[in-house]
Amino acid sequence: MAVERVAAHDRAAFLRRADHRLLRVGALVGLLVLWEALTRVGWIPALFLPSPLGVIRELGEMAASGQLLVHLEASLRRLLLGFAFGAVAGVAVGVVTGFFSRAEAVGQPLIAATFPIPKIALLPLLILWLGLGEPSKVAVIALGVFFPMAINTYAGVREADPLLVRAAVAFGAGRWSVIRKVILPSALPMIFAGLKLGAGTALLLLVAAEMIAADSGIGFLVLHAGNIMDTTKLMVGIVCLSLLGVLSHWLLTRGERLAVPWRHTS
Amino acid sequence: MSPARRVALALPAGLLAIGLFVASAHAASLVKIGALKLTSSAPLFIGVDKGFFKEFGIEPELVFFQAAAPIATALATGQIDVGATGVTAALYNIVLGGEQIWLVADKGREWPGYPLTGIVVQKELYDGGLRSIADLKGKRIGITTLGSTFHYSLGNILEKSGLKLEDVRVVPLQTMPAAIEALKGKQVDAIMLPQPFPGTAEAQGFGKILFWAGDLHPWQTVAVFFSKKFAADRQRAVAFMKGYVKASRYYYDAVLVQKDGRPAPGANYDDVVRITARYTEARPEVIRLGFPFQDRNARLLVMDIERQMKWWTDNGFMKRTIPLKGIVDTSFVEEAAKAVPEK
Repeated sequence: MAVERVAAHDRAAFLRRADHRLLRVGALVGLLVLWEALTRVGWIPALFLPSPLGVIRELGEMAASGQLLVHLEASLRRLLLGFAFGAVAGVAVGVVTGFFSRAEAVGQPLIAATFPIPKIALLPLLILWLGLGEPSKVAVIALGVFFPMAINTYAGVREADPLLVRAAVAFGAGRWSVIRKVILPSALPMIFAGLKLGAGTALLLLVAAEMIAADSGIGFLVLHAGNIMDTTKLMVGIVCLSLLGVLSHWLLTRGERLAVPWRHTS
Repeated sequence: MSPARRVALALPAGLLAIGLFVASAHAASLVKIGALKLTSSAPLFIGVDKGFFKEFGIEPELVFFQAAAPIATALATGQIDVGATGVTAALYNIVLGGEQIWLVADKGREWPGYPLTGIVVQKELYDGGLRSIADLKGKRIGITTLGSTFHYSLGNILEKSGLKLEDVRVVPLQTMPAAIEALKGKQVDAIMLPQPFPGTAEAQGFGKILFWAGDLHPWQTVAVFFSKKFAADRQRAVAFMKGYVKASRYYYDAVLVQKDGRPAPGANYDDVVRITARYTEARPEVIRLGFPFQDRNARLLVMDIERQMKWWTDNGFMKRTIPLKGIVDTSFVEEAAKAVPEK
């Protein structure tokens, strides 16, 4: 008896999501070309929406004159310092409150009470305490990074598998050893999620801080260019901010792959 | 989000905003005047209040703004017909960016003997012997924004004393109240603000007025601007200017005349104070502190406009200067000044 083979129609085919790489790139390029064309023809006044090529040219000029470097350097210094302070403090507080019940009893209500405060609202207060200079800008970024870090680390520590902890203790590990070798590694994915959250917040707060009484930095550049109606320069600032965001996310994703090789996320 | 994708989101929003600008430009046949609620807008208030514009067939409508820069933007997009505000780097850059705005008449100058903008220093520094502009070297000086009239004024005053802008630390504080708070909180050593802020600082005791900007560097600070469309409507533009010239003379004769360096109030002094107080919503005592100088026939200091553009260009705020005939048009004020009879 001959078996007749029937090609089965995959009824779930519409659920398959193809990558469409070409379409993705094409959409971006097409939009930029359309935008450039619209400004060239003069349908959109260049003053209100500078052309992409104009922005690239301005970016090149500002990079060549060293002007852009000054602003980038100032912003990066504030970001890195604020990020480092906030992250270290956040991880420390998260581990301590996650591990010691007394610290949790003291720390958790405090964090829950202060976390919802929008950090931008604290900026005027920080300026009063620390002055108009660098410390107040770094402090507000550190505060913005601290909370997602502390909360995520705490959650990561709490979620550490009790079985693994007990196994480590059974093999003779001390308290410090358990934290270092079991709890911290298992909290790492949560810590990195916190870092990524913090990076976005840090960028937001950087711009806010630099818009008050700064004379350098990307946030200052954007505000200043807007003040003097130099829209091309303004767009250069926005592009730089966007690149900073993309770069920090990429770096953190890379770092995560190195630090948590057993778990590949995104 | 990738940078290009952010741009992709911004584009439709931008197009929509421009569409709204254009749509609102056709709204009225009356003349929309954009101004700030400051003493320096007094001639416009007089023109509206005394009916001088109506006399020449113009129906004026005052539109109030919070800052100078949006007035220039509103003019460029045709949302308002006439603007009256500080001559800033933003205004020049709009014209440089291809959107035509015309500088047509005087509306206030820093001028010797007429307090407008004051340099106010901390009381302790003044008591400690700070007396001259040269003493400001290395100090933190608060202004509203870089590229503002205050920035220009400060730069020129420093240069006259042999200093440069880089010799002081200019702190942009965005708003006038923020600047006065920064002086009070000792976050800056000095500020540069228009009346009534300097008077208030001295009255409350934390500041001391070191100089008035006009005594050190007179210049064309505030001006009247026409939008491209309004300037092309020659008949209405001249009619508006006639009303403005009449109001300017009324203003000048009432509050600006001086005898032997002392103010000699004219017959209508109290009338001008009353009108200005009403439109600025300030107390009459504050208004009486001083009125900014302007030409009796509202003629611009044309040569100063060229000097300003050169300074902004030298200091990196403008890419290049604009030829005077591409931004200044004095024909309206000249025609109006001849046509309006002296009483």
